[in-house]
Amino acid sequence: MLVGLWLISGGVAAGLFGSLLGLGGGVLIVPLLTLVFNLPLLTAVGVSLVCVIVTSGASAGVFLERHVANLRLGMTLELFTAIGALVGGSLAFLLPEKALEILFAVLLTYTSITMFRRGRAAGGPEEETVVDDEVEGEDQFFDANLSGADYRVKRVPAGAAGSVGAGVVSALLGIGGGIVKVPVMHLVMGVPLRVSTATSNLMMGITAAAGAIIYLSRGLIDPFVASPTALGVFVGASIGSRVAHRIDVRILRGLFVAILLYTALQMLLRAFS
Amino acid sequence: MTAGPHRSPPADLDRTIGRLLIIGTNVAVLLLAIGCVLLFVYRINPLAGGPPLEPGLIVYDISHLQPAGFMWLGLLALLATPVLRVAVSLAGFIRRGERTMSIVAALILVVIALSIVLGRAES
Repeated sequence: MLVGLWLISGGVAAGLFGSLLGLGGGVLIVPLLTLVFNLPLLTAVGVSLVCVIVTSGASAGVFLERHVANLRLGMTLELFTAIGALVGGSLAFLLPEKALEILFAVLLTYTSITMFRRGRAAGGPEEETVVDDEVEGEDQFFDANLSGADYRVKRVPAGAAGSVGAGVVSALLGIGGGIVKVPVMHLVMGVPLRVSTATSNLMMGITAAAGAIIYLSRGLIDPFVASPTALGVFVGASIGSRVAHRIDVRILRGLFVAILLYTALQMLLRAFS
Repeated sequence: MTAGPHRSPPADLDRTIGRLLIIGTNVAVLLLAIGCVLLFVYRINPLAGGPPLEPGLIVYDISHLQPAGFMWLGLLALLATPVLRVAVSLAGFIRRGERTMSIVAALILVVIALSIVLGRAES
């Protein structure tokens, strides 16, 4: 019983921190299940994909109702993330676990650097610049249908390529892939950050589902581990979305960068142990 | 190519799909929660390993208040929710005469079907 409560608590923490810091739960759940509960990496990835679907379903539903997420853009790009997930889900079973652990350590390091830079940008005048030059030969369909009321979507082929990459990483490492999709949509395709984040959330559901189906078929989704963890993530993310505006995330972000780097080190030690 | 003269406001489809995602996720999480309560009631260690998915046993397990039945139904409902979202979007796009988006939605469903086939072939 105690282990079940720990799984729920871990899920709550992952969901809470994830929603406060704009991360999917996966980057936290996989290390939690492997390093704390000593589960095999692929089992942890399968469980994490389930948690990503929970996070996506709950948040994307609200984003769509409020018309923040761009349904047509999301669906166009998620065709490519789903293809990437198909590749990533298959690749995961071909690579040795050690290689996946090293890849995860790289992902954690990259995420912590991104968060550190975001923290500095939020504290000072420095801001990320959107590539704003005109692109020739825009497709009429994409121009008219994927753009929003106050922005125009550009470079759809580049976005599609980035989405394939996000899908591969998602199914390979059990993450939502927002760390790839949001910069691609915002910086390359010219989509406002808020819309990019909401649309990325929407896309995570079908991307994670495509990967999770492969893990499920391989018997790597354990209902006794996935259920308490996913339940915890749901509760944590719900709390996070309600208290986010009351919390100063700057200190939290600094703490989190340190935790991510420490976790990356632990993952590397596990890989080479 | 896409929008016809009778096209409804896109917002309606967004709202319908948003509702579907929220309801689907809540129902799935409720089933998982019932499974977790039963897991605690029977004092099962989650790390001991749960039973594999056997669709034929889900109804039996639920009728006998076994945690695995509720958990598997919840997990399947969770996996089905985004797929259902794409299917409902496809129906919405067809109704609105949005041919390109209909093709995109249909292709996503093909990729999902491929993942089922691929998963079965590899297992």
